[in-house]
Amino acid sequence: MMTVSSRSFWGGMSQAFLWALLLSVGVIVVYPLLWMALGGFKSNSQIFEQPFALPLQWSFANYLSAWRGVQGYMVSSLLITAVSTVTTVFISAWAAFGLTRTPMPAKPLVTAIVLGGMMLSPTVALVPLVRMLQSLGLYDTHWALIILYTAFRVPFTTFLIRAYMLDLPRDLDEAAMMDGASPGQIFRRIILPLCRPIIMSCIVLHILFAWNEYLFAMIFTNNPSVQTLPVGLTSMMSKQGTDFAQVFAAMTISALPIVIIFFLTQRYFIRGLTEGIGK
Amino acid sequence: MAELKLRNIRKNYGAMEVLHGIDLDIRSGEFVVFVGPSGCGKSTLLRAIAGLEDISFGEFHLDGVLMNDIAPSQRGIAMVFQSYALYPHMTVFDNMAFGLKIAGLRKDRIAARIRQAADILQLTPYLDRYPRALSGGQRQRVAIGRAIVRDPKVFLFDEPLSNLDAALRVATRIEIAKLKQAMPEATMIYVTHDQVEAMTLADRIVVLRDGRIEQIGSPVELYRRPANLFVGQFIGSPSMNVLAGTLARTGQSSRIDLDAGFEVMVPIATDAAMQGQRVHFGVRPEDLRLSETAPLFRATISLVEQLGEVQLTYLERPGLAAPLIAKLPGHLDLHQGTEIALTADAANFHLFDQHGNAIRPHEAGHKIAVPAE
Repeated sequence: MMTVSSRSFWGGMSQAFLWALLLSVGVIVVYPLLWMALGGFKSNSQIFEQPFALPLQWSFANYLSAWRGVQGYMVSSLLITAVSTVTTVFISAWAAFGLTRTPMPAKPLVTAIVLGGMMLSPTVALVPLVRMLQSLGLYDTHWALIILYTAFRVPFTTFLIRAYMLDLPRDLDEAAMMDGASPGQIFRRIILPLCRPIIMSCIVLHILFAWNEYLFAMIFTNNPSVQTLPVGLTSMMSKQGTDFAQVFAAMTISALPIVIIFFLTQRYFIRGLTEGIGK
Repeated sequence: MAELKLRNIRKNYGAMEVLHGIDLDIRSGEFVVFVGPSGCGKSTLLRAIAGLEDISFGEFHLDGVLMNDIAPSQRGIAMVFQSYALYPHMTVFDNMAFGLKIAGLRKDRIAARIRQAADILQLTPYLDRYPRALSGGQRQRVAIGRAIVRDPKVFLFDEPLSNLDAALRVATRIEIAKLKQAMPEATMIYVTHDQVEAMTLADRIVVLRDGRIEQIGSPVELYRRPANLFVGQFIGSPSMNVLAGTLARTGQSSRIDLDAGFEVMVPIATDAAMQGQRVHFGVRPEDLRLSETAPLFRATISLVEQLGEVQLTYLERPGLAAPLIAKLPGHLDLHQGTEIALTADAANFHLFDQHGNAIRPHEAGHKIAVPAE
């Protein structure tokens, strides 16, 4: 039989092992980001001579110079991310409400079609999309990316919100119906506020996607005033390939907003993803 | 004032019919309770009245107006849900105000109505709280308050006490009874599977089984004069003892030879044509008492459940398919294995024909019609 002291020894060991594991994972994730940010403070020669050392001097010159280079891309990224986030989440929430709360004919089929959109590969759709957006006169505009990001993310976002809504009790809808609320009021005033955790998760996920998306941004935009950060950074790298310090500074600036958003909303993000799954 | 008329109400889910033609009139100001076992259709009927379920066939009139195609919120009906269905992201005040805001009432009138309802339900200190910060009983009161503020013609209660513990259930039941007294003109329909709630609250009880009404009547009527074997056994706790037998003698009073090996004289008239037919004799556990002088039957105690004031005594004797139950005074010294002699007043005997329909005194040969067939 196991004694109390041996039990506490193994308990302590497993705790220590867990901490060591989590710490290692943390270091693996954070260190490259930190290395990149520190690189922005170094000179080009120090990056090669002392890649793992701290900067010799804390100068923001590289960051100021990089900011001047990326601010145009930053504006495009902010605009496209913000608008496509609103459209994606709004359309997906409405779609999820329709799929879970309304007496729609052939609902399983409609659900399968909507969620089947997740299977569509963006790469396969590129050629027809280029032709389509060219004929609509949207090629090389912000709208091209806003529409594409919305269209390609609605199925997945609908899938997440629908799973969450399925768990919300029907009695709430019926109570609101008895109170005289229309379906629109039930959606806006009852269901949507209750879906806040999953909506927050979907917002964060969409921001991560839209901010970092490269393929569509590269194919559907040419003009630097329309291009987003990932494409802008690539062109910066090709132009200033030898000035790594400035490239690191530009990459840090472009990653900063997303890191801040994630840390601010991670509580909601994790809650939203774990709650809708089931009881 | 609100008078309800239900005529041949049927409800189908695809090929499955769950309500088989319900006919029911509910008078204004009446407290009607729907009871029945799980799956009998009582909640479906309530939801059809609320408008939350479409009526497949038949007509529902409220104050003479056909309600079949009228939206739930336009019917002048408020409903209290089993799960309370409070909006978790709104305070108690906002929960109660939601319907009034939707209706476009002025803010001062909304506040006045909520203050009044909160006073009645002792909810004033909790108006700024969220439902998660309330106890089960308080939540139920908020749900009732949300119904009251709308000033409906009809209140519907769908098993409102089933989520509460035993003590709170009794307290809330009394509050609902007081609420009805305070609102004598309000028509209330209450669904429950708890017959104590039904007996204590109802002006009239509607007993349902398999989507059909078995009997409608006052609590005492249902208890004293059940229309059939199902109602006889459903109303009353423990259930009525039922013994199968053969009608050995007909006339002004009837003699039944019971399969359990004894005979009873029942002061209920039967037609000569019924002679020799299979019948069921019923006697309630609380109507049985000990008697050595003129025993109805003797039986051996197989189990005693002491409840303090009374004790439930389970009895066995050869020929009995299931134990008989007698509710005897708690002070008696009763033990397992003891043989006791029991009797009951003949006035409390019940007789049912071979189909389970009651044969009532002075109704010889007349089977009690089951409504809504």
